[in-house]
Parts: sequence; structure tokens; C-alpha cells
Amino acid sequence: RTDMEETEFDDILDDWFIESLKTYKDLHVYQLEHPTQVIEWTSGKTVCVAGFTSSKNEILELRLPLKLFADENKGLCAERDFKVVHGGFTDAPVRFSNCLNLQVWDLGGDDSDVIRRTGSVDGSRGVSEGGSRIAARLSSQPQVLHGAESAGVRLTQLTSGQTVYTLETDSADPLSSLHFVSDAVFLAGCSNGKVYIADTRTSAAPQLSPPPPSSGESVLWWTDASAGPSCLDPSSCRIVRLSSCGQTVISDLRNPGGAVSRAQLDVQTRRCNADDVRVSWAPALDDCIAVSGFSGAVQIYSSSVWTTELQEAQPLFEHRGHAVSSQSDDGVPVFVTSHVWHPERPRTLLSAASDGSVHVWDWVDQSAAGC
Amino acid sequence: RSCILVSIGGKNIMLDCGMHMGYNDDRRFPDFSYITQNGRLTDFLDCVIISHFHLDHCGALPFMSEMVGYDGPIYMTHPTKAICPILLEDFRKITVDKKGETNFFTSQMIKDCMKKVVPLNLHQTVQVDDELEIKAYYAGHVLGAAMVHIKVGSESVVYTGDYNMTPDRHLGAAWIDKCRPDILISESTYATTIRDSKRCRERDFLKKVHESIERGGKVLIPVFALGRAQELCILLETFWERMNLKAPIYFSTGLTEKANHYYKLFITWTNQKIRKTFVQRNMFEFKHIKAFDRSYADNPGPMVVFATPGMLHAGQSLQIFKKWAGNEKNMVIMPGYCVQGTIGHKILNGQRKLEMEGRSTLDVKLQVEYMSFSAHADAKGIMQLIRMAEPRNMLLVHGEAVKMEFLKGKIEQEFSIDCYMPANGETVTVTTNPSVPVDISLNLLKREMALGGPLPDPKKPRTMHGTLIMKENSLKLVSSEQALKELGLNEHQLRFTCRVQLQDPHSDTDTLHRIYTHLKSVLKGYTIQHLPDGTVMVESIVIKVSSSTEDPNTKVLLLSWSYQVKQELFWYCGEI
Repeated sequence: RTDMEETEFDDILDDWFIESLKTYKDLHVYQLEHPTQVIEWTSGKTVCVAGFTSSKNEILELRLPLKLFADENKGLCAERDFKVVHGGFTDAPVRFSNCLNLQVWDLGGDDSDVIRRTGSVDGSRGVSEGGSRIAARLSSQPQVLHGAESAGVRLTQLTSGQTVYTLETDSADPLSSLHFVSDAVFLAGCSNGKVYIADTRTSAAPQLSPPPPSSGESVLWWTDASAGPSCLDPSSCRIVRLSSCGQTVISDLRNPGGAVSRAQLDVQTRRCNADDVRVSWAPALDDCIAVSGFSGAVQIYSSSVWTTELQEAQPLFEHRGHAVSSQSDDGVPVFVTSHVWHPERPRTLLSAASDGSVHVWDWVDQSAAGC
Repeated sequence: RSCILVSIGGKNIMLDCGMHMGYNDDRRFPDFSYITQNGRLTDFLDCVIISHFHLDHCGALPFMSEMVGYDGPIYMTHPTKAICPILLEDFRKITVDKKGETNFFTSQMIKDCMKKVVPLNLHQTVQVDDELEIKAYYAGHVLGAAMVHIKVGSESVVYTGDYNMTPDRHLGAAWIDKCRPDILISESTYATTIRDSKRCRERDFLKKVHESIERGGKVLIPVFALGRAQELCILLETFWERMNLKAPIYFSTGLTEKANHYYKLFITWTNQKIRKTFVQRNMFEFKHIKAFDRSYADNPGPMVVFATPGMLHAGQSLQIFKKWAGNEKNMVIMPGYCVQGTIGHKILNGQRKLEMEGRSTLDVKLQVEYMSFSAHADAKGIMQLIRMAEPRNMLLVHGEAVKMEFLKGKIEQEFSIDCYMPANGETVTVTTNPSVPVDISLNLLKREMALGGPLPDPKKPRTMHGTLIMKENSLKLVSSEQALKELGLNEHQLRFTCRVQLQDPHSDTDTLHRIYTHLKSVLKGYTIQHLPDGTVMVESIVIKVSSSTEDPNTKVLLLSWSYQVKQELFWYCGEI
């Protein structure tokens, strides 16, 4: 890198930071030693991240900067750093899933900062390319829903290892996600666009929502279901499906085959793997969806203006921080590996990218309508 | 407070001599009784090394040298030597004048203490005495901060002080060569954090300043003369230029002169970019930043002012603060730590009503912002430093042991070295494996080579024989003969003898002859002689036969051999 290139890079970065004064309320930029594909909330203030190389990986539990939460006396709080609350090692790559085996980890208490593996749950047979998907359910006894294909989804009790429920489907479709929409109802989103809706309390066959029309052979689909406080009645939940060409379909859980609205998102298509893309509903905003994995940006869309006609949609906000601040030496452009919304703070997100960066940001909604 | 005692190769070194800013009593000083229960420390310390001018690293220095007593050398870099006394004097003033303390060092003591200082240059080896040498490395963090390499014989220790691995706008990143010290001692206060980027902190700073200016408020930034102020000025200048802002920015004149003076002196301690700019123009000829006059404080409208001193405890910054505190549109940004007892400390703790001189109260209505710009190494930085220096053992100080098990495990795993985390007052003993250099005589080498066999191969060690002589502080490996000669000793020969009893009715001579014939047939390739004096010799082994006095049919064989005889030969002889 020449001096000139260095200065140019600095200038562009400075520009983006100065622009961010208006576009973000809060912004924190961190650099992990190794990139992560997972960001999972372990409490309202802590997240877990982990490496995904084929050899030894670190699992870290990070506490978000105190400054973010110090609403009253924010000015007096100088603490802007991630605190590594717990750390541990694993031999396998850690993804949203884990190939073959689910490993159970114990985040140490206050007397130690080491994360230790306490056990494992046998994964489903028939390993698909992406490995198992999981969804945790916090009932009185912690249970995990897991599977790599629709025909092998099981609900396992962590303490006893017992299978409490098994999903029975006609075909074994590779999964792209599993979500609980209520205590007992869950969605199995398949990479081919199908969505199964099942109730763990009954042995009745699951409801099937076929893939949206005009879905091609090599098209991958990702799903998210809105749940949580805004979804007290599970039947009023909504499902969003996003394809690798950017086609987005929103359906109502009561009528999973139909479409409430559609949009064509402008996603820079790069060759995406099943693990790369995330689409998620904002837990504390109405009709807001975040999309990442196609590029070095995270895009926020407001689906309230979408109609049943397939039209191009523009993002309400785009977080380009990872792309702008990445200094990739090998010419491979950086892409966002994961993102999560904060469960309560309406516009706060965390995003991670392939260069090891992790950003915590609270964006400003500059439009009149929208989220 | 940082104060570490290292004993290495018989030398005692004190690393830093800091003050604990949280205590008001003697607990704020390091406990020197670890060195000696009473009396001066001079005889017990070979030298004292100070890493940088922060009070938690040098605050107790005058107390140690003048009140406890130490007359030996105190090493620090040139910028530290220049800046230390200023900070110490400021600190003394606050503690004595403001808080009315008595058991504290005086101004004269600071001066006397600084007279003992020997300044260090970067990467220059300094011989403290015949055996102890030290070398300073760039640490980043603040102006003049150094990491120090200490060597006695073939053992060495590196102490980092505070350092950081990412360059900022006015300082570079820490750097050290692959010196492979036996121990690397690193601060670990931030070892369990992942630090927010510098740019984000700056962004926050700019946001605050901008917000205040936009609503017509005045921003006060109390600074110490050096370091942070320059960085923030550069930042604001860039921002003002980009955003085309018109509000005035002022810098108190005292600051400018001092700062200029020090930066010119220590230009090599700043980073590349600053050096380049400095060559082109004066550090403080900013387009948007002007010299301050006290009357400006009453001017209407928005403005930003950098003023000393940094903790709002006296002088110009306090004057301005008093004027602006009552207006909620205004803002004060504290860029660093404030000592207890200062106004800075009070407002950072949320106090909104301050008692001033003459019993008057000041209502603090302006916005108080605390921004930490200090650069420290986090977990990633520590790993980077270990990769650079390749220490054989790691020592982490000032962290919480319970919270650092993971980092300890990580270090031990990745580098296969031991990682220690002693608490205050704890002693850690590290066994080192120093290499001892030994000379070898050429003759001995030549002789070994002449013995033939495979050539010396580092992967295939070969045993060789020699004698190690320690003479006049050096070690030499020579042949045994030469050693004996040098020592004036005669070589002794050892011969072993054993008796073997045989039942044999023949005469002595016949028995001997039979033995001779037998050996000749079995031991082919060896020299076997039947000598006229009635002995048989197999190489150097002598065999004699005699009859037992009690019973002529019992023959006694006398076998005699010297120490050098090969094992197998001896065995054959036993076969008889």
C-alpha cells in the first residue's frame, strides 16, 4: 500500500465518519482477531461470537459498552469498549449451526471467565451442506430445536438428551432456518423456499407453505418469522422469505401460502452460500426488516409501503461501515457475515463481517414514514 | 499504582514508581518494606526505570527517592524527564495546597529527585554497570512512553509499561524486535476488553462539540500542555475545514509556547504524519485555531476553548469554567482522568453544586462529558506484542486473575509458554534456561574430527570427551592432557584387577598356554601375545596364572585391565 493509497483510504473513512454524525445516534467499531458468523444474545447486554475456521476457534461472550446503555448519565460514562466476559475454545467451526453435532457450552459464572463444553447433542443423520439449524426454547427446562433437513427436525431436552418432538414431513428439504413463533409453534424454513409450520404439542402434520412462484432451481431462500411482544397471538405473526436474487415475499402465518406483500431488493449478487445471508424482522419496530450477507452492507427496509405487486424497493437505511473501513489485502471484498437486532432498543443492531470487524450501531430514521 | 521489583542475575531493579490515585493515606504509595524494613533503598536497588509520565507510574518517585531515600540512577526517556516534573509539581500543588496534606513531597524534593535522572534514547543500550544493561523501545501510548529491555548476562526481561499497538493521529504504535526475553511483563488492565476504534471515539467527540456549537453553546476542553491537546486540535481543524464551520476555536497561549517547545524537542517521538507536517509548518499554525485572550470568554456566541490545567483545579481553565458553568447550552469535555479533590473529579462524579472559595456555590448547569482517549493495548494488542518479542514466559500485571483465565489459556496454547498473573504483593519465580557460552580448543576439535565417523550434524549430537576449565571469568573446553598440563597435575592410570578361580590339574604354564590358545581362536582381530615373562596379553589386558597355596588343582587367574578397555573385550575375557 502506497502512502497515496493510505491517505485516500483515510479520507474516505473520515468522510464516512463525518457523515455518520448525522446518520447514527451511536456507533461503535470493533475488530475481533478472527471473523465470526454468529452473533447471539445471551442477555440484554451480552452477545456470543465465535470463529469458524476448520481448526481451533474461540468463543467469546462480550458485554456491550456501558456507554450504550447509560441513557441518563451518558456523558459521564466513558466506557466504549466490549468487555470479554467469558472465553473458550472449540475445535469445530461455529456457525449458526454446527456440523453433525450440537455442542452445549456452559458460560462460566462469576468465578471464572472460561467457557467450557459440557456436552453434546447428536445431530440429525444425513448431513446437508450447511449443517444443522437450531432454535433455542427457554422453557422451564431448556430445549433445543435442531435439524439439517425438514424430515429430521427434533426438539431435544438439553439436560436429559431426550427427544421430545420430531417433525414428520414427506420430503427431506435442506433447512435454512428454524424459528419459534410462540412457546409451542415453530417454523422450519427450507432453502428451496418451502416453509413448514408445526406445533410441538400435537402430532398433527405440519402446515406447508410452498415456495413462492418464479423460484428457480439454484435459488436459495432464507426466512424469518416475527415473534415476541408484538406477536402475542401466534396466528398474527408474519413470515418473510428472501431469495438469493433479492425477491422478498411476506406472508401471514394464518395464510402461509398467500402473499401480503412483495418486493425486489437491490442486492449486489455475489455467490452466496446457504450460511451467508440473514434476513430478520426488527423486534421493536413495525414492519422493519434487516438484510445482510450479499455485500459489505446491512440494509434496513420498511415493508409497510410494499404491495402485492413485485416492485423494486429502496432501503430505508444502509450501514456501509464494514465496506468502508475494510482494508482487504487479497482483493476479496468484505461481506457481512451476520447481524442481529437488539431485542428492545428499536434501532440498535450488531453486525459482523468477514474481516473480523464487529459494529454496534443505532441508526437515525431520516424518512418521514417508515420504522 | 505500578511498581514492580525484579531480581535478575543478582541485580535488583524497580520498574515504575506510581501513585494510587484512589487513596488519601499511605496506601497510595507502593509498599517499600518489600525491599527493606527500614532505611534507605540505595543499597538494595541497582537502578529505577520509569516508563512514562502518568502519575500512576511516576507519582511516588520523589517520595521514594527523597523521603524513603534512594541515590542511585533513575532512568527514563528524554520527554518523560522533561514532562514528569511538571506533572509532579501540579499534583503536589493540588494535594498540599488544595487538600492541605502534610506528609507529601515538596517542590525541592521534585527537583532533587530529577537530578538523579539519567535520560535514555530509543534503541540505545545503556550499561548501568558491568553486568546490567538496559534498552528503551517505543511504546506509543503518550509522548515519551517506553518499553524497556533489561539484560544481565544471558537472562533478560522486558517491561512494557503502558503501550498500544495501533497508531493514532500523533503517536505511532509500539514496536520491539524479536529479542526473546525470558520474561515479558505486560500491563493487562485492558486485557479483557476489545477496544472501540479510535475513530469512533473521535466521532463522539466531534458530535458533542458540533451539537453544542450548533445550539450556540461554548465548549471548554481542559487539557494538560502536551499530548492529547495536539491530537484534538488536529482533529477539530480537519473537521472545521470539512464542514466549513465558522465558530472560533481558541488555544490558550501558555499551551502553545510550551507545546511547540516540547514537540520541537521530541519530534522523533511523534508519528510519521506529524513529522511530515511539522517540517512544512509550525505545529500550531492552524487555520481555524487562534490564541486565546481571557477577555474572549465573555464574547457572545459559540466557541471552543482549549485551556490548562487539565483537571480544572486552578488557573485559566477553572476561570473559564466558572463563567460558563451556569448555562446549560455550554459543555465541558474532560479528556482524561482527574485526581480526587479537583473540580474535574467532582463533576465527573455527577456533582452539580460546587463549593468555591469564599463559601460561594457554583451551580453546574452545563453539560459534562467524559471522553477517554488514552491508548492501551487490549487482548489483541497483547497477543501482537508477544508475537513480536517471542518471550519465553509471560507475566500479566494489574488484571483480575479470575477474569483472565481465558487469556492465560489462550497465551499458553498459542505460544506454548507459561503465563503468570501475580496479585499485588505476590512474588513470582521463573526458572530460566540460560545458555552458557563455552570456548573450545582447536586441537580438541581437530582431534574429534580425526576420529572419523559422521560429520557434525546439528540433528545428530555426538558425544565428545574433554575437560571444562573455568578460568578468569571464562569457560574453556580442552583435551584432558592439556587440562592436566595447565593445572600442573600428573595423569593417574587406573588398573583394575580381578581374580578368577579355575579347577585345573595342569601346571601353571600349561594352563596359561591353554588359555592363550583358546583366546587366540575366539578373539580374532585382537592382538594376543604370550610373553616370555609368563603372562598373556590381550590388547592391554594382562592375564597371569598361579596355583592356590592350599590346593594345587585350583588355579587363580589374575586379570588386570586399565580403565580405557572396551566393554566387549573384557566380556570375552570373562568367557574363559
